[in-house]
Amino acid sequence: MIATWYAIVSFMLIVYVVLDGRNFGAGMLHWLVARTPEERRQVIAAIGPLWSWHEVWLVGFGGTLVAVFPRLMASAFAGYYLALFLILWSLILRGVSIEVGGHINDHLWQGFWDFVFVFSNFLLAILFGVAAGNLARGVPLDADGNFSMAFFTDFGVRGYVGLLDWYTVSIAIFAGVILAAHGATYLTLKTEGPVHDRSATWAKYLWAASVPLFVAISVASWVVVRRDLIVHAVHNPFCWLGVLIVAVSIIALVSGISAHGETRAFVGSNALLVGLLLAGAAAIYPVMLYSTLAPENSLTASAVAASRDTLVVASIWWPVGFALAVVYFIFISRRYVGKVSVRRDTQGFY
Amino acid sequence: MDPDLSNPAFWSRLQFGFTLTYHYLFPQLTMGLAWFLVYWKWRALRTGDEEYNKAVRFWAKIFGLNFAVGVVTGIPMEFQFGTNWAGFSRFAGGVIGQTLAMEGMFAFFLESAFVGALIWGESRLGPRYHFLAALAVALGSWISGFFILVTNAFMQHPVGYRVETGGLLGIANFIAYLLNPWALVQFAHNQMAALVTGAFVVTAVGAFYRLRGLHLTQARLYLRAGTLVALIASVLVAFPTGDQQAKMVGNHQPVTLAAMEGRFAGGTMAGVAVIGQPNVVARRLDNPIELPGALSFLAYGYFGSYVHGLDDYPSNIWPDNIELLYYSFHLMITLGAIFMVLMAYAGFQNWRGRLESSTWLLWVLMLAFPFPYIANTLGWMTAELGRQPWLVYGVFQTRDGYSKVVSSGNTIFTLIGFIGLYFVLGLLFVFLEGREIGRGPDERVVPSRREEHERPAA
Repeated sequence: MIATWYAIVSFMLIVYVVLDGRNFGAGMLHWLVARTPEERRQVIAAIGPLWSWHEVWLVGFGGTLVAVFPRLMASAFAGYYLALFLILWSLILRGVSIEVGGHINDHLWQGFWDFVFVFSNFLLAILFGVAAGNLARGVPLDADGNFSMAFFTDFGVRGYVGLLDWYTVSIAIFAGVILAAHGATYLTLKTEGPVHDRSATWAKYLWAASVPLFVAISVASWVVVRRDLIVHAVHNPFCWLGVLIVAVSIIALVSGISAHGETRAFVGSNALLVGLLLAGAAAIYPVMLYSTLAPENSLTASAVAASRDTLVVASIWWPVGFALAVVYFIFISRRYVGKVSVRRDTQGFY
Repeated sequence: MDPDLSNPAFWSRLQFGFTLTYHYLFPQLTMGLAWFLVYWKWRALRTGDEEYNKAVRFWAKIFGLNFAVGVVTGIPMEFQFGTNWAGFSRFAGGVIGQTLAMEGMFAFFLESAFVGALIWGESRLGPRYHFLAALAVALGSWISGFFILVTNAFMQHPVGYRVETGGLLGIANFIAYLLNPWALVQFAHNQMAALVTGAFVVTAVGAFYRLRGLHLTQARLYLRAGTLVALIASVLVAFPTGDQQAKMVGNHQPVTLAAMEGRFAGGTMAGVAVIGQPNVVARRLDNPIELPGALSFLAYGYFGSYVHGLDDYPSNIWPDNIELLYYSFHLMITLGAIFMVLMAYAGFQNWRGRLESSTWLLWVLMLAFPFPYIANTLGWMTAELGRQPWLVYGVFQTRDGYSKVVSSGNTIFTLIGFIGLYFVLGLLFVFLEGREIGRGPDERVVPSRREEHERPAA
């Protein structure tokens, strides 16, 4: 039961990262792939109508986390206090920049909101990367399961760690590159004209750049920072499933990019993120929050889960809600299929 | 609670109160406005009259910006349960988390999937599906309100839970928790109040256009629908929903009822204060003018009913800001009464066919739109100040709920951040909505995103 809920909560977070990751990526590349005001509107129009649909997955994740792992939510959110508020503020700025930029057809107005859009998406990609790094490395949990963390301490990965150290910063850089690549792949699929061509070029470079970074952070994760994880990981079939998905998606991605199969490349890009995050989530299980002070302080899923009866109640409504979400997803996919082009008349709507 | 300014719980409360009050300015309009969109779209479908479609297009734009600000200011609310109220989340997360998550899964997914289609999808979807999109968004916004009110009702009047091993709360009876009588009454009361806000805003825009002599057909549409809905909703918000809500407070939180009325001594023939300033130190209401017996009658149905006073209870379970609670409640009631009178008069003028020609009435209707926002806010202040000093009434105190690891310094920092960010957001919102209203409904072309999307993928 607890393992299932761990899987569900991880799944919701993964869906959020995959869906909103494309927006972070498109945002980071905004100035690079779109040069004229019309092209910049085109990028916004490519992600515009759906950003709130993507963002509510984070809300769904947060709510589900409180319900089924209340003690984890309490400990982690209070501990990550300032980092979480930076994420919340960046999300506010990002949403506002998408929503209001197109309201006035004026280059000063749009230029300003384009800046906010790029800036907030950069910050979001980096902050979520840092958050992932913190989950993998662990946090200074005391014997009561509480922690409070500075932004940085000595940049080391043991003992009283800070939010930023050499390891979490490397993960953040990797996250930035791979989400940018994901966004570029999405824009290649979703746009035409010069934005499409530039996005396709950037996608190639960024995916190529992510390979050495991936090797580096894998070595850092498995060999330097959390050597204990590898033993867990090889015995967990879901880790192997993650690896398998990554392998298949790399094939899809490479063949998609080289053969101009834009849909195939984008599916590969999505699956690649799913595979990586699945392998990561499976590897750290059953620990949900690892203690850098003493391994016995770590919070396991069973220690932070709600009671069995509470989990049973959640098992009743969650599948219904999820089935409905799938229905909406099908509606959305049909509604927004096809490319967004440079057209003046998108100005008034984004 | 100790109002000492270095108390971390005080700052967490202030931050939650500030961000929540600000956030709720937006959903209260969308929850009210959504049904106008559904109604006009339905009329357009039935009559084929293009004026209704024009109204839908115009108000969908207003709706869209409200919705977006509601989404971005709403996410911090959910996260603050963990960041600032870790003690509460740990203690009650297994219960209240259920409805927080259900709000996401059942309401936000629905709303956010269809809101884009409502605002930009008219030509793409065709009239029937466009109507369904409006309906989906309206239902989504009300479902969201329901789950949040179930969550709040649990804090006001906990039912369906049990204390589990380890002293934390879990669900004992899920149906009882979802159908908490407090939640049903509060939902009805709150949704009527949201309709009041929506209707006053629609009316105000209609009055503005009428006074300026612009968009006259549209102005008539807004004025007629707006004043009618405002009248019905203003009456329903008081009777039966507000009345039932007060009885609920009287039965389950008698200390709160006493504090709302500024009553220190208990007694029969308890009055409702029309004017008076609570003096907590001297334990009396200064300069009172009361309607004798009214409170006894309203709360329990008989003039002779005994209504408890604050003196009947130990002061450590008194709401911790009786003065603010008293004023919130009384100003809310006063505003509610004014709304009924104003809209009854507007309805009368409409019946006489003079609504659009009585200039001073139009001026009042145009300038009245901020007051339902104030009344809604006062209503929530009454509910939340009245719940103190409890986080879960009678079960868990506010002073035990905040995050012990988060210092005042951190909370003040983020509160300052929110104040700055929300100030800018507010300016931006007023500027853009004002601009949108200035452009008016006639300037809008039918969105032509259709062509863009119909090109086959390369």
